Amino acid sequence: MNVAHTIERLIRPRTTAYAHCDLPCGVYDPAQARVEAESVRAIQQRYQNAEQMKTAGQTVEDYRARCLVIKEERADLVKHHLWVLWTDYFTPAHLEKYPQLHQLFWSATKEAGLAKKSSDPEQGQKLLDAIAEIDKIFWETKQA
Amino acid sequence: MARRTLLMLGTCAALLWVRYARRTFRTIEVAGESMSPALRPGEFLLVRRGLPREAAGRIVYLHAESGRPLVKRIVGVPGESLRVGDHVEVNGHTLVEDYAHGTVPARSYRGVNQLGPDEYFVLGDNRGASTDSRHFGPVGQDAIEGIVWLRYWPLARLGPVAHSPRRRFKRLATEGIDGPETPVPLRHGERFGTTS
Repeated sequence: MNVAHTIERLIRPRTTAYAHCDLPCGVYDPAQARVEAESVRAIQQRYQNAEQMKTAGQTVEDYRARCLVIKEERADLVKHHLWVLWTDYFTPAHLEKYPQLHQLFWSATKEAGLAKKSSDPEQGQKLLDAIAEIDKIFWETKQA
Repeated sequence: MARRTLLMLGTCAALLWVRYARRTFRTIEVAGESMSPALRPGEFLLVRRGLPREAAGRIVYLHAESGRPLVKRIVGVPGESLRVGDHVEVNGHTLVEDYAHGTVPARSYRGVNQLGPDEYFVLGDNRGASTDSRHFGPVGQDAIEGIVWLRYWPLARLGPVAHSPRRRFKRLATEGIDGPETPVPLRHGERFGTTS
């Protein structure tokens, strides 16, 4: 052990102060991802029905452009919320019990990426289905 | 005899100093990235107990409601009206925050709320990755143990911690927008719970 390590050990404070995200509250819920994914699917539906959905002073192109911008943001939030669950909530012990977890997160975040490119509500439904599977496992781990 | 007296006096002085130092200072270690680059994980800090009159912009050591010790920066002090989004508005003026960075998720936005007479609003500098007053609401003065005063480890970063007690503001945030000149503050109920 070198001198720096020895000094560090001797002067290390006993208290740890957290400059952290998520840990202090410890609140996780796949509902965050689901709500954003529902927005994605709703926007995909609205994109398809732009003619009926747009306001009087709006062109279909303008309405669809807004849909795409908002869909992009929401799909990104889905990815964010899923990654928080994947990297911060789930532990190796969970993975042992549910070995499909990595594949599920991989598929769900891939679907979120596809949602940026697709304006088909069926694709949005696939994203929601993938999140639902994660949600099921999440609540099982909560009850364990 | 004189030597013994000196020794006793020296010991008493040392004991008094230790007592004073313990009452005035404490040490903490940083964990997490929400205050980077001002504070990095693994750094050892000296905290000076108490809160100065000019508290805004200071990095403080506090206890969350859950009891977890935290380090965050004060952005709002008692009586101020805050709107928090991808930037912070204080009493309708945009706060210039050179220390803040990170993409703020829309869910972290908060409407205009006025802080109570004993309430402080604290945020992490890394706005995209911080659990702070946006989530647990403003904190009372008694939750704040002191201000982060000095970084003493690693030695390469030894020195005072970067506070920003002198706040700068941009133009009126609401200029050019139809409606009242400044946002109308609302008194929040128990906590900052609503997303604007």
